[in-house]
Amino acid sequence: MALIEIKKLSKIYGEGDNETRALLNTDLVIERGDFVAVMGPSGSGKSTLLHILGFLDDYSFGQYLFDGKEVGKYLPDEVARLRNQKFGFVFQAFNLLPRTSVLENVKMPLVYSDVPEREWDNLARRAIEAVGLTHRAEHEPSQLSGGEKQRAAIARALVNNPEVIFADEPTGNLDSKSGKAVMDIIWRLNTEQKKTVILITHETYTAEHARRIIRLLDGEVESDQLVSNRRGEGDFEK
Amino acid sequence: MRLKYSIKTAVKSLRTNRNRSFLTILGIVIGITAIMMVMSLGKGAQDLILNQIASIGSKTIAIVPGRHPTGISDSMSTFTDSLKNKDVEDLQKKSNVPHLARIMPIVFGPVVSTRGNKVHQTTVFGVNNFFAEIYNIYPEDGRLFTDEEVSSKSSVVIIGSKVKDELFEPGETVLGQKIRVKNQTLRIIGVLPNKGQFSFISFDDALIVPYTTAQQYIFGIKYFNRLVIETDTEANIAATVIDIETTLRNNHNITDPEKDDFFVETQAQAMDMVSTITNALTLFLAAVAAISLVVGGVGIMNIMLVSVTERTREIGLRKAVGATNRSILIQFLLESVILTSVGGIIGIALGTGLSFLISLILSKFVGLNWAFTFPLMAVFLGLGVSGAVGLVFGIYPARQAAMKSPMEALRYE
Repeated sequence: MALIEIKKLSKIYGEGDNETRALLNTDLVIERGDFVAVMGPSGSGKSTLLHILGFLDDYSFGQYLFDGKEVGKYLPDEVARLRNQKFGFVFQAFNLLPRTSVLENVKMPLVYSDVPEREWDNLARRAIEAVGLTHRAEHEPSQLSGGEKQRAAIARALVNNPEVIFADEPTGNLDSKSGKAVMDIIWRLNTEQKKTVILITHETYTAEHARRIIRLLDGEVESDQLVSNRRGEGDFEK
Repeated sequence: MRLKYSIKTAVKSLRTNRNRSFLTILGIVIGITAIMMVMSLGKGAQDLILNQIASIGSKTIAIVPGRHPTGISDSMSTFTDSLKNKDVEDLQKKSNVPHLARIMPIVFGPVVSTRGNKVHQTTVFGVNNFFAEIYNIYPEDGRLFTDEEVSSKSSVVIIGSKVKDELFEPGETVLGQKIRVKNQTLRIIGVLPNKGQFSFISFDDALIVPYTTAQQYIFGIKYFNRLVIETDTEANIAATVIDIETTLRNNHNITDPEKDDFFVETQAQAMDMVSTITNALTLFLAAVAAISLVVGGVGIMNIMLVSVTERTREIGLRKAVGATNRSILIQFLLESVILTSVGGIIGIALGTGLSFLISLILSKFVGLNWAFTFPLMAVFLGLGVSGAVGLVFGIYPARQAAMKSPMEALRYE
């Protein structure tokens, strides 16, 4: 059974003349452990797709089966629980809490989990170590570089050991050196820890880290291809 | 979401906006301070009055002539002259009122006193020698009446401190001097100490004469304005009230208690009445003070709404990492409740401090026998009310936060 399966999924905003079709009759299957890059011009519906797949937004028509179960049938608290335990989000704008240390930021998903409080520190520090930020654990976001901020955000996405990592243009705000570091971490999460990765990007050299590239145009899947010469770790040349 | 962690998070967020938090709770602080002060000072005033009534003696019973008119046609027959000498004699009989320890008839009325070319409007109290013990006031100069002076209708007078100030120059000899009241010449045998204008029962501006003298020579009446009776023990008050009523009804040929031409008042009744009045007054003032809490609550709501808007992205993020609507609701509710509770605690401290200061000023500089009371009830009330204000006015902003769609919240700029 596929981890993610959507059938004839549509998302429509507004009514009448203001109607916007962000997604139209989209079909998509993503298996466990896959690494999918979603590309497309702005307004093509790639962010909407990611938000729907990550339970951050609802859809208008069609079906979304997560782990074989229709998502519309999950109760609100179950949805929150799934977001907490199965998903990790990485955003273009980092979304770290200001005036709050990296350690506390990384702990945040644990607050809403069943993990006992005494283990929070340990788990958060391990996640920070995994992204190579141990020396910055007590720093606040304003004291970090862009790349460090995104690595902190990745640590936060990892702390609950999720199954799926959703990354919405994670390198969009970074210089190429920092972007490389971030993509290396995401690449290793997929190859070494077998995490499913769904990545939005508009840079081809970033997308080529994935096994598969889906191109969207005007809310419809334009193409869905496997990457023939996939880039490996450390390969971030334009 | 863990409570301890939630509280820590809420406190941290409030501390981040320290100045704003402080200004926000000012309304609550003022409201709780006002309530604390009203309750503490209200209790102080009540105690002051009750103590003064109690100082007259809890074994005292007052008999007042007259009755409430039952209608307009009845208004003429209020029997203000119903208490006579025979009543006093009969009440003194052991067979009628066995627990009577002493009885003091009182006659009083306004008079003009003169001395040379000095004129002073004052009040005459005609009493007997139990006066000093019952009201706990003794002449600071001179003496009380003798029993002989009472029975022989002597023209002697004990004057209050204010009367002395009005009729005499400072340093002038007072004892033995004469003053005139209604064509009677009275010889001063004593001067009462100054008890202060805040006293509930004051003889500062009064002339104290034997009741016999007052009846015959000053007012020309045969009845009494009041009879004060002391029982042997406090326990016998209820029984004595019944004995008094039986004796007086007998004397006045009354069979129907509805038609009594006198009232019997006990100390306890008077205290009850004072308590009821002061409690109502305190409650009313506290209610007025509570209005400021509503104003403060609206301020809290306003700033919490601002906070929710400002932190839209934080809300979106928390939801994205697994926060339920409930945990977001609790987080913001906790912030407003902590905010108002802190305001409540500051208000309690401030209100208690100010009440203590005012009590100190009243007792040390104004000379009142005023005791500071720590209003424990008001403390719980203040804490409860301030917490409730946070809850009531925090629920709307917190709901606004909880209902945000995570995707829209994350997109918010």
